[in-house]
Amino acid sequence: MKNNSKGARIAIYAGLVLWMLVNLFPVYWMFTFSLKDNPEIFGDNVIGLPRHWLWSNYTRALGTGNMGRYFLNSAIVATATIIITLVVALMATFALTRLIWKRRRTLNKFFMLGLTIPIHASIVPVYVTLSRLHMLNTYWALIIPYSAFSLAMAILVCTGFMNEIPRELDESACIDGCSTWGIFLRVIVPLMKPAVATVGIYTFLQCWNELMFANIFISKSALRTLPVGVQALSGQYTTDWGPIGAALVLATFPTLLLYIFLSKKIQDSFVAGAIKG
Amino acid sequence: MKKLYSNKFHILIFLLPALILFCGVLIAPIGASAYFSLFDWKGIGPKTFIGLANYKELFTSNSIGFMKALRNSLLLAALSVGLQLPLALALALALGKKIKGERAFLSVYFMPVLISTVVIGQLWLKIYNPDYGILNVFLRAVGLENWTRIWLGTKQTALGAVLVPTLWQYVGYHMLLLYAGVKSVPPELREAAMLDGASDGQVNRYIVLPYIKPIIRISVIFAVTGSLKSFDLIYVLTNGGPMHATEVPSTLMISMLFLRNRYGMGSTIAVLLIFLCFGFALLINVMFKESEE
Amino acid sequence: MKKILALALALCMIFALCACGQQAAPAPAAEAPAAEAPAAEAPAAEAPAAEQTVLKLWCIATESDANRPAYLQAIADYEAAHPDVKIEMEAFENESYKTKIKAAMIGGDAEDLPDIFFTWSGAFLGEFVNADKVQCLDEVYKDYTDKIPEVMLANTTYGGKHFGVPTTFNIVAMFANMDMLAEVGWDHVPETYEDLIACCDALVAAGKIPFGCAGKETWCVTEYLEPIIIKTIGYEALGKIFAGEATWNDPDIAKAVTTFQDMINKGYFDPAGIALGNDEVKANFLAGKTAFYQNGSWNTGEINDASFKSAVALFPVMNADRSSYNQTIGGPSDSLAVCSSSKNAELAAKVAVELGKEICHYNYLNAVGLPAWIPDYDTSSLKPLLVDIANIVASCEGMVLFGDTAMAADPAQVYLDYVSQVYGCAIDGEGFVAGLTKDLG
Repeated sequence: MKNNSKGARIAIYAGLVLWMLVNLFPVYWMFTFSLKDNPEIFGDNVIGLPRHWLWSNYTRALGTGNMGRYFLNSAIVATATIIITLVVALMATFALTRLIWKRRRTLNKFFMLGLTIPIHASIVPVYVTLSRLHMLNTYWALIIPYSAFSLAMAILVCTGFMNEIPRELDESACIDGCSTWGIFLRVIVPLMKPAVATVGIYTFLQCWNELMFANIFISKSALRTLPVGVQALSGQYTTDWGPIGAALVLATFPTLLLYIFLSKKIQDSFVAGAIKG
Repeated sequence: MKKLYSNKFHILIFLLPALILFCGVLIAPIGASAYFSLFDWKGIGPKTFIGLANYKELFTSNSIGFMKALRNSLLLAALSVGLQLPLALALALALGKKIKGERAFLSVYFMPVLISTVVIGQLWLKIYNPDYGILNVFLRAVGLENWTRIWLGTKQTALGAVLVPTLWQYVGYHMLLLYAGVKSVPPELREAAMLDGASDGQVNRYIVLPYIKPIIRISVIFAVTGSLKSFDLIYVLTNGGPMHATEVPSTLMISMLFLRNRYGMGSTIAVLLIFLCFGFALLINVMFKESEE
Repeated sequence: MKKILALALALCMIFALCACGQQAAPAPAAEAPAAEAPAAEAPAAEAPAAEQTVLKLWCIATESDANRPAYLQAIADYEAAHPDVKIEMEAFENESYKTKIKAAMIGGDAEDLPDIFFTWSGAFLGEFVNADKVQCLDEVYKDYTDKIPEVMLANTTYGGKHFGVPTTFNIVAMFANMDMLAEVGWDHVPETYEDLIACCDALVAAGKIPFGCAGKETWCVTEYLEPIIIKTIGYEALGKIFAGEATWNDPDIAKAVTTFQDMINKGYFDPAGIALGNDEVKANFLAGKTAFYQNGSWNTGEINDASFKSAVALFPVMNADRSSYNQTIGGPSDSLAVCSSSKNAELAAKVAVELGKEICHYNYLNAVGLPAWIPDYDTSSLKPLLVDIANIVASCEGMVLFGDTAMAADPAQVYLDYVSQVYGCAIDGEGFVAGLTKDLG
């Protein structure tokens, strides 16, 4: 019995390590080929570390591709989206879980529709609306649709967290003479801090990757986001893999770095969302 | 308190931003799409009302290939539930037992979720490159010369080649969701079962799985609707080609809207896609409820 | 474990940034002259700055596009001559541009549309013209009648009115690596089909690949298939089919498709090509991996400068009863047009015509296209390969515009679908003809 379970343990470990390598290898390969020239990538040194570390690939990616600018744009859009989603979702969740009115369950279900609606299905009508509002070619052209599409998940998560806040707190604040706004701002919102991180992560995942909206709604190259920039750059260097690799690394590593430093926090928040949602 | 919380004006104020955002960006466009799906329209110029003819053409025309696109995305959904989720579940169960290096494993498994889909697409384009891609280079190196393929260029392999990275990227996402569930199982339940002499497998089967059923349900819904919605990675890898072998409804919709100037037909696909996603989400909910009874 | 990983990543990033910092140093120096130029102009431009009109130009001349230098030069020239006009150019990647310009035309207000935009001639621009989105240029062209032949405007003329400004003119040509051909004993490009087959067989026997063709971009396949069809049924018949005046039901088209597929099955084409894009296939040709590359004449400059001896010719005649050697696919396609919604539509029209003419001028000198406009500048320093192509064009008897440009968007996609099936050998010649006859009538 004991032997058996030891064998099983080793098998499990082997499986876990194997899957870990499957996940790490592409990142490793991407990093190494971003520092090689074509002959190395294509022939004599496919997997190994670069022989000559060709940092000039990065200069080219930064120079022609303007990756730094794209990264900043993506960061601005993501941050604003997270803030707006959070504010709107907290308010809505407060109305849906605390305030008393008849159809609130129905409305909650209505918002949950948003979980299943594909973002691309609304592309042209949203374009027309944004155009009428003179918002195309601004960060808002992305922030508003992204916030709307993140809303359902954010409400779902916030509902879970808010239901856990004891109603007695509301009661006592009410007795102390707080208004609805007072209770919301002074009692509920401070206690929702853990939800902030969770909503932030889910919203980030939703808007960091998006390609089609970002491509169509933004015409100024100074406002392009990372996915559009990476796609455009790889169109320009189809045959010169080094600079593409450099662009991919530049688009990826800052996020990964942040993630590795904050991984425990990020995972815990993500996990909290799963359980409460 | 009750009176305070029943103030209609306040309720409206609290809901208004969410309602405006939600209706303006999600609901109204669906309405617009539903309306335009009844027309033969190029997007610009005059439009002709044709009733449900777009829907009929979509399901009957071979040259549009909607049924094939639908089959592809259903296959993706099936594989997602049949392969991706079990793998994620196995990883979550293995990691849920206080294994050494748990955090490191978790961190690495979640990494692909954080990498931009476009980056993953570009990376896999390089992996599959017929001449210099790592996959064919590897096959040649180990002497499996005749196993090498033009992975994204041949009808037989393209779909598989597109599905692999699509499934791979989100294993970590589901793993972390399920891991959360596994961790939330009260230790007492586990210990009691162990004392009764249950093996690891039995504990997993009779204690953990039933306990995390709600999370499995969420995972299944996300996996299925996510598969039906899938777009970015396929757009980068093949854009539906070769010869429509990897077409999914979203890529078909974009090509109708912007390449073939068939705005009415594009809207039709959008409407159907929404109904499909919604229908499947409902269906999964019902199935899980039934299995509980 | 986690910390080590984090550290490794951090170090990589720091190295990357430091290295960039170091190497970035000379970069500004190199940019300096460019930065100085506008600075020097600034005082001159300052005076009328109050009434300077800004025109937005959308195009596909991205940094890797061979047309870019011509665009930049033409814009700089125009701005220097007209300090009251400022042209803001935005360049987009080819495929995403198609979605972009269409979305803008469908839903955009005047301010979301450019004043001047790049367009393909034929049906692409035609659909915008039909929707009254494009400014008529007849008024401006009155001053240019002796500078451009009417035939060059035919593809952007709708209902007798001119709507587009050709920026270049191109044909499909067969480029050859003469060094590779010499290795198998050929000192000229084969001019008959029998010779071509013999040459390809010799190349295959020597372990070399004759052709490369990008399957991922179907237009590249048409650059092979359409010349074979025109050399089988002749330009008049093909022109009628593309214009919708005749059906695809012509047994000789099936024969042409069979010829193409025979060449594929005999191993004349690089099998990896089917998964590659055009840039990769072209790079293979330039690197000496394939002996021939059949594509647009906009590649002339690049191929002329390749490390091997190059030559250019047309695909040989397949059926001498219906076609002849001096027929080819081609015509002016890349054009500029003006949005009718532009606040400065009349000015934009003038600018577009002048810009188009000058872009064409610089494109010709840069060997990325042939002149649609009559050259009024010194052409003595042209690249030799370009002169060869110009001679081919000069002796041309008949020309048909690229099929996907000539046809409307929806039939064009149906047509491209069938073409990609031909390249994948999923249908044969009869299937191609029967399918297109059924779907496009």
